[in-house]
Amino acid sequence: MLAVTGNNMMTGRRSAKAVMLAGLLLLLGACGVNSLVVEGNYPTPAVRKIPLTLGLYFDEDLRNFLYIEYTETGQEEYRVASGQTHVQLFGSLLPAMFERVVVLDSMDDASDAGVDAVFAPSIEEFQLALPQKTRLDAYEVWVKYNMRLLGPDGAYIADWVLTSYGKTPTENLLSTEGGINDATVSALRDLASNFTLSFSAVPEVRDWLASKQTVVTN
Amino acid sequence: MDTRRVVRQGVPLWLLVMLLAGCTTTTVDEFRQGETGIESHQSIVILGRRQGSTYETREEFVNCVGDRVARGTGAIRVIPEQEFVDSLFPWFEPRTAPLRTSDLQALMEEPLVAGKIQEYGVRYIVWLDGQTETTNRTGSISCAVGPGGGGCFGFGSWEDDSNFDARVWDVSSFANVGTISTDATGQSYVPAVVVPIPLIARVEANACSSLATQLQQFVNGD
Repeated sequence: MLAVTGNNMMTGRRSAKAVMLAGLLLLLGACGVNSLVVEGNYPTPAVRKIPLTLGLYFDEDLRNFLYIEYTETGQEEYRVASGQTHVQLFGSLLPAMFERVVVLDSMDDASDAGVDAVFAPSIEEFQLALPQKTRLDAYEVWVKYNMRLLGPDGAYIADWVLTSYGKTPTENLLSTEGGINDATVSALRDLASNFTLSFSAVPEVRDWLASKQTVVTN
Repeated sequence: MDTRRVVRQGVPLWLLVMLLAGCTTTTVDEFRQGETGIESHQSIVILGRRQGSTYETREEFVNCVGDRVARGTGAIRVIPEQEFVDSLFPWFEPRTAPLRTSDLQALMEEPLVAGKIQEYGVRYIVWLDGQTETTNRTGSISCAVGPGGGGCFGFGSWEDDSNFDARVWDVSSFANVGTISTDATGQSYVPAVVVPIPLIARVEANACSSLATQLQQFVNGD
């Protein structure tokens, strides 16, 4: 048998209020924007190193890259921050491709850093396809990049476009955020594989490597 | 209508459906193109094909076949797919993986790749390609909740069809030594008389089991 005292009744009322408040917050939360910072791990490529020193420069746009997905009525629905995971990806990819990599805070530091060239990637376009909108059983991410290779003095060496695609099936996931994260990581992995194997095949890059008397067969 | 009477009348139907639900038909075909055999220090790796735009071979199916091949009396050492693909990144990604044995031969000229494959002791690369499709969805189930309780009534069914191919590449000769195909079909039912009872045909699990058994014998040269 349960005896309810005055204090217990007060506690009960407070608990009920707390539950109602939590419910209200949950309802409000459901109307707000869902923010996601993409996190992933990327393998190190098993490729022969190019015996050169590369400067790596990430501009603020790349470091803070944010994609916003809107609802059909134009409201913000998802904010996907993938800048830092791109920094992490290139940070693990390029040291496996080049003998030495120097991360530059500014393009002006390149000439003093003793680098042979500076690599500066940028994101031109980011597209997200959610299953609730496409009616497909997968989260899909498509990214278009502009890759720039510059001399230590900032002179043009090469400039090329790369696209990457990643998807993850809905059946693997518990949440939309998880689906977006996994599809983005899959797209970045696709970028890494494509970049690694196509880098030395870009005509301007091939000519530059030849000028440095470096032949890469990857 | 009295709920107990509905349940009593529904029981024979459930039993009949449960008996039918056990029925999954599995066909396995083997096409041998070369001699096989594996030594105790050697291993195989089972990889899923993911180049297609319409479907991808599910990682869970690849792991299922790998787990079963690594068990039993003819157990074979199987390198986990993700470990192998990460270790040989970027050479076995969906966009870059070799599609023909000649591509593998060219890839093995890359010293880092050849070294890692040798390190793992990989004798055979098995490429799994396929999917499970669900068709013929019929029926409907309605559920209702009231002050006196709730319940469901209706009947749903669907058919699953699993089609998978396993192509076996001999790493030592860069040759396709054979293909094992499996086709499994089964009907699943969900009768609902107050409570829905899912009677699921284990189509993909049966396809996995049959394919793994045949693959193990094939690689061992039995």
